[in-house]
Amino acid sequence: MLRKLIIYDLKASAKIFFLFHLVFLIACGLGRFCFMDRIDFVHSSPETLLAPVTIIICLAIILVVAVNLFSWLMTAFRFYRNLFGKEGYLSWTLPVSGIRHLWAKIISGCVLMWIDTIVIWLGIFFLVSGRNVTEAYAMISADVTEMLGLPLSMFSLYMFLFTALSCIISVIMTYFCIAVGQLFPSHRILCAIATYFILTFVLQIAVFLIMILSGYFNDYINSSGIFSKELSLILVPSFLFSFIIAIAEYMITHYILSKKINLI
Amino acid sequence: MRPILECQRLTKKYGSFFALSDLNLSLGRGQIVGLLGPNGSGKTTLIKLINGLLVPTEGHIMINGLAPCPDTKKIISYLPDQDCLDSHMRVSEVLSYYHDFYDNFNAKRASAMLDALGIDRRSRLQTLSKGTKEKVQLILVMSRDADLYILDEPIGGVDPAAREYILQTILANYNENATLLISTHLISDIENILDHVLFLKNGQLALNASVDEVRAEYGKSVDAIFREVFKC
Repeated sequence: MLRKLIIYDLKASAKIFFLFHLVFLIACGLGRFCFMDRIDFVHSSPETLLAPVTIIICLAIILVVAVNLFSWLMTAFRFYRNLFGKEGYLSWTLPVSGIRHLWAKIISGCVLMWIDTIVIWLGIFFLVSGRNVTEAYAMISADVTEMLGLPLSMFSLYMFLFTALSCIISVIMTYFCIAVGQLFPSHRILCAIATYFILTFVLQIAVFLIMILSGYFNDYINSSGIFSKELSLILVPSFLFSFIIAIAEYMITHYILSKKINLI
Repeated sequence: MRPILECQRLTKKYGSFFALSDLNLSLGRGQIVGLLGPNGSGKTTLIKLINGLLVPTEGHIMINGLAPCPDTKKIISYLPDQDCLDSHMRVSEVLSYYHDFYDNFNAKRASAMLDALGIDRRSRLQTLSKGTKEKVQLILVMSRDADLYILDEPIGGVDPAAREYILQTILANYNENATLLISTHLISDIENILDHVLFLKNGQLALNASVDEVRAEYGKSVDAIFREVFKC
């Protein structure tokens, strides 16, 4: 049953998800061939490069955020519509327990978010893998490696793995907020959004306080100046904290789906 | 034989409003039961509780001796009062969906009914008219070999011809050992097929009797008694 639920979840989102990511990859391809490949990084002066590089970075960031936001919204929308919208009248009358529904949604949501992450990284990689970029990078790679504390490829791999793991936390947190939102008698979507913002705000403050109290910022100030180490000092505890919170969110969501279903 | 449905002191509150209050009920097998009452009387709330779509505030509900759970959902075939299918799906995909999840779904029966209506299985649900979508949903529900069929307003909002088709479909596919619970306020249309009636008023049972008993005792049709009981 779990497998069937996951397959139907993925099938429901597949077409529009595939189209959107195809558009992203095409945009990356166009950006590479029509823009990036035409820039001469080696012989141009920094002043000449500043404008085009700034434009391409801004466009890439906008595109990445849009695609990622779209995937996240799609995952959230599917969860809400399938379990708490009109489709819930069918979903909840299937001979399937609440926990199976939850796991099916977590797995399908994570699969979509992972594919999204992989596609985004592939798109970025394709955008910056032209010969002119790699040749220009070769000239500064030693400096970058020294600044990062490890080669850029390794740093990118760590960031990719971190992003992939964060997807699980993001999916569970999203489902938790929607499940809490449906406990309210009306304006359930609004309540879910409010829960999300309040939770994010509270968690950020909590992480900040924990870091201050545990002396993490002292370590940060006294750190070696190596970017990857400084980043890990912030990201690792923050991720661990978020992971613990995600476990609590999962347990509460499980309880709501098992005991507090109220389709109105 | 164990009743198919039992409610004991069943109560459901929305805030301070009692949608159902201290309801006691037991339904036997092999009968068509009309769940009758005006809007807001608690019919849909009771149906949602039976299907596990709501959690009771107090009391118990048992289906074939079990509280609502995946096992009870296997034996209940439920038609909600609204469109519950993913409108992006094709009719053939919805058939596969039911076939995949319900062991007692009879795909041949469903296909025969769809063919009789001339519904193209490649059509997406969003391209079908409201009436056709309702018929597709009814066909899916009645193509299951369930022990308890629950139909919430199956004839509300459709034209008289469609009503006739719906009632014929229900009767033609209804298993005689199963119980059929039909919620409606269009009593005159279904009165002739009912064996038993339940009148719900303000979340409580106002009447729980067989149609024969009602006619013998009051000498009136169920519809006439309904109009008296729920007179505004």
